[in-house]
Amino acid sequence: MKKLTYFPGCSAHGTSEEFDSTLKLVLKTLDVELEDIPDWNCCGATSAHVMTENLALALPLRNLVLAEKLENTTMGIACASCYQRMKVTKVHMDENPELAKRINTTVVEEGTYQGKVDVKSMLQYAYEDIGLEIIKSKVTKPLTGLKVACYYGCLLTRPKNITQFDSPEYPVSMDQICEALGATATEFDYKTECCGASFSISNTEVVVNLSGQILAMAKESGAHAIVVACPLCQSNLDMRQPDIEKLQGIKYDIPVFYFTQLMALAFGYPIDQLKFPKHIVPVEGALANIGKVVPVPEKIKKPIKAVEAESEVK
Amino acid sequence: MITLGTQGKNTFLEAVNVKSGANVLECYQCGKCVSTCPVSQYMDFPPREIMQMIKLGLRNECYMANSHWFCLTCSACSGRCPREIDIPAVMEAVRHLAIEENTINTSTKVKEIRKFHQIFLEMIKRYGRNYELRMMAEFNIRTRNLFKDMHLAPKALLKGKIPLGVKPLKSAKAIKRMYEIAEKLEKKK
Repeated sequence: MKKLTYFPGCSAHGTSEEFDSTLKLVLKTLDVELEDIPDWNCCGATSAHVMTENLALALPLRNLVLAEKLENTTMGIACASCYQRMKVTKVHMDENPELAKRINTTVVEEGTYQGKVDVKSMLQYAYEDIGLEIIKSKVTKPLTGLKVACYYGCLLTRPKNITQFDSPEYPVSMDQICEALGATATEFDYKTECCGASFSISNTEVVVNLSGQILAMAKESGAHAIVVACPLCQSNLDMRQPDIEKLQGIKYDIPVFYFTQLMALAFGYPIDQLKFPKHIVPVEGALANIGKVVPVPEKIKKPIKAVEAESEVK
Repeated sequence: MITLGTQGKNTFLEAVNVKSGANVLECYQCGKCVSTCPVSQYMDFPPREIMQMIKLGLRNECYMANSHWFCLTCSACSGRCPREIDIPAVMEAVRHLAIEENTINTSTKVKEIRKFHQIFLEMIKRYGRNYELRMMAEFNIRTRNLFKDMHLAPKALLKGKIPLGVKPLKSAKAIKRMYEIAEKLEKKK
């Protein structure tokens, strides 16, 4: 039994509840026990760092300090935005003692930051700490026939010096996880393009434009569905899809899954536990492809990590 | 006419470099950031031009641009920058300086973007966590755009996609205290 400190993030109780609940199912199968950070607070997301310098580091810092009081040395974060804010704060606190001293004054009541806890996104945790072999061994209902476009967005792999995970340009970790589940990952060029993120409410025009391009490219890659690991990407691509379709005059009908939903499905959990009714775009059409024979296998990908390949070129 | 601010010291360039930790002078104007940026089409000065304006010390022109408000901090530009300049950090530095000196673009779009971030921060101050439904409602009320996204509401609410309430923090006081200390730190500089 592995133990992991868990930071769900605000959206886990709201727009991405299905991410949170399926993640818990998957980790149960993988024998990982989650320990919530007691009374965690919002990381400040985009808004804090847009508007202020100190609060943007103070809000995540409180969670890091609270996490250090638990025994585990790794914190797993579901939301990509929370993950990035937490990791940015950790890197700044570790590398800049003067700044660390200043920001520490905001959390005096909780304690002092010591830098004991490692911060990982759940995608990174599944890929690095659990590994493809173990994931593969738990599959009871392979997703053969389902073609997916794995969409990472900006925050999981960028900036490279902060996240230090996979490739900032063409990451492959989620693709490999999906293939371990039996699905086929398509050659999808818009993997790390931005979906418009926090402009979802304040500047919808931008989101409709950017997410529209991502949907178009996913469709072109031949995917039946998009797979994500970020709540904001999911809601922009799923909830805004009818708006995009109306504007572009194209019917996409591409459901947007969290990678944990597909994992839970392949691990044999009954479909009524996977929260599919929460999706705005119906999932049935895409899931009907499971079990169908794929005609000719697409280009076979070598299981290399893109980061390593990059460093060889240098 | 634009007058160059480089008589003697370029204090603006220095301020941006210190705040961002980047060296704007390293930019050689290749424009890769512009072609990479997903929102450069909405900016009145794309990133490359902002970099040059900083070099020229055009403080006011930079502050009044909408560019740093449109930057999504997606870091696509810095990942491809051949000089490895942290361009989002530069954008952020310009934005923070503009806020500090209260010299801000007055277009409706920028006002709406700022309003959204302000409401978001108010939600966290009050509840310690984000209250999505209330945030959307407040945004519509305060931008006088009551029916924005209303067509999404029935589906999103019925499906439980957006919950009606929020679980506030037990230690909500701690968050208020953090806000106060952070505000003091902000003024100290």
